[in-house]
Amino acid sequence: MMTTQKPLILIIDDEEALRDGCRQALEKAGYAVLTVGEGIEGIKIARETKPAIAFVDLKMPRISGMEVIEILYRDIPDIVLIMITGYATIVSAVEAMQKGAYDYLPKPFSPDQLRAVAKRGMDHHNLKIETKKLREEKERMEKTFITFVSHEMRSPLVVIRQYIEALNAIAGDRFDKDVQDIIERCGSRIQDLEKMIEHWLDISRIGKGTFGLKKAPLSLTHIIKRSTEEMAPFLIEKGIVLETDVPEKLPETSGDEESLIRVFINIIGNAVKYTPEKGRITISAEGDKGRVTVSISDTGTGIPSDKLPFIFEPFFRVRGKEERDRGSGLGLTFCKKIMEVHGGEIEAVSKEGEGTTFLLKFPAQGQPGQ
Amino acid sequence: MTTKKRILLIDDDKDFLYATKIILEKGGYEVFLAEDGKTGVEMWKSVAPDLAIIDMMMETWGEGFSVLSKIRATDTGKDTPLFILSAVDLQGPYNAFEPPPEFPRVNAVLHKPVKAEDLLRYIARELG
Repeated sequence: MMTTQKPLILIIDDEEALRDGCRQALEKAGYAVLTVGEGIEGIKIARETKPAIAFVDLKMPRISGMEVIEILYRDIPDIVLIMITGYATIVSAVEAMQKGAYDYLPKPFSPDQLRAVAKRGMDHHNLKIETKKLREEKERMEKTFITFVSHEMRSPLVVIRQYIEALNAIAGDRFDKDVQDIIERCGSRIQDLEKMIEHWLDISRIGKGTFGLKKAPLSLTHIIKRSTEEMAPFLIEKGIVLETDVPEKLPETSGDEESLIRVFINIIGNAVKYTPEKGRITISAEGDKGRVTVSISDTGTGIPSDKLPFIFEPFFRVRGKEERDRGSGLGLTFCKKIMEVHGGEIEAVSKEGEGTTFLLKFPAQGQPGQ
Repeated sequence: MTTKKRILLIDDDKDFLYATKIILEKGGYEVFLAEDGKTGVEMWKSVAPDLAIIDMMMETWGEGFSVLSKIRATDTGKDTPLFILSAVDLQGPYNAFEPPPEFPRVNAVLHKPVKAEDLLRYIARELG
């Protein structure tokens, strides 16, 4: 917008003398003024010229000022609407305000009164524009921030791991076992940190709607199969028995296969982590009207009941600083967000010393078996 | 004694260059470093390396691509093996970089950080 341009005010009133009076008073105050004697034409001009303020007479032939206000408020987001009325009643003023008017001006009014109301309206208009700009700027910064973090925070970590590779390349064969151990631990902690950043970014992306989620029909049976296949080596390593009771055909759901597989891997991974050797993990699924529920149970250590309500909170940890408890602290937060984006839910029930069950509920189309 | 094969490494992160240089020298290569795309292309012409490794994420996303195209367009660049380095970050989840079809030929895509043994294996595959 050019700074030299005068702010535009539109007057919609069927009284010619009033229109001319308003024009003179407002032009004197430095505004550009357009006038029109009737509502339909007024709406047309407002759409074309996008004035900062429109004064709208309440009582006009053909279309009432109330309707004009309603339409302009809906169509022109930054416009400030001021009702002119000859019989200002509280009731009509309230109604106009509800329809989107910012202020009202009772007839008869003096040029000074008109200018005072116009000035206030103009301030409000500028504030609206300013607020909108700030909000857009904030959104832009949030987006840039995600990009910034992903690059700027990960780069040093990548370099550190590259140095560790270099260190091993130069002198790896000369290091004692304990030195090698330390280097390996450094590497793995850095990798943890990278993962944490990645998970945190994923969660921010879900919040901003920029996480690449596809919306396609999908089969939960297939997703469970793929997830358990991927987790098989970890199950075998700990001698954990996996039992699955999943029907070949479940009601169809829709969403993003890759992110849901990550949800399942996360939950199954937790189950593996907290289930002692030779334990058991059971996955079952059933579909009923409009919903599929998948349950993943383990015979692990369980979650204390006072901790259970917080497990989906970011960075919440159930236990202390034991090695196996390490992780990004964002796994379950990620799962919950992904389930929410799919219109589903995730819940956990647990008994300390007996095990934990996660329930994943998905909205589904059609009837079971279809 | 046979002369060492020459590798040109183009990346705007000094530390990454240094760390990778150590690995490559350990692998028995002579290493040349360029910290930006322009220097990289100039060194390509003056050094005439046997292989080049180019970071995709220098300064702007497009720079690595433009360096790669310029090198491929030179006489010596037609058949020399070229690797690109990428980090997954800007493309979002799961979308590790895959060169689009109109990309100049790339012999390998490596992801940062690169494991020393992987790096040397990929190079050995190209340079024998």
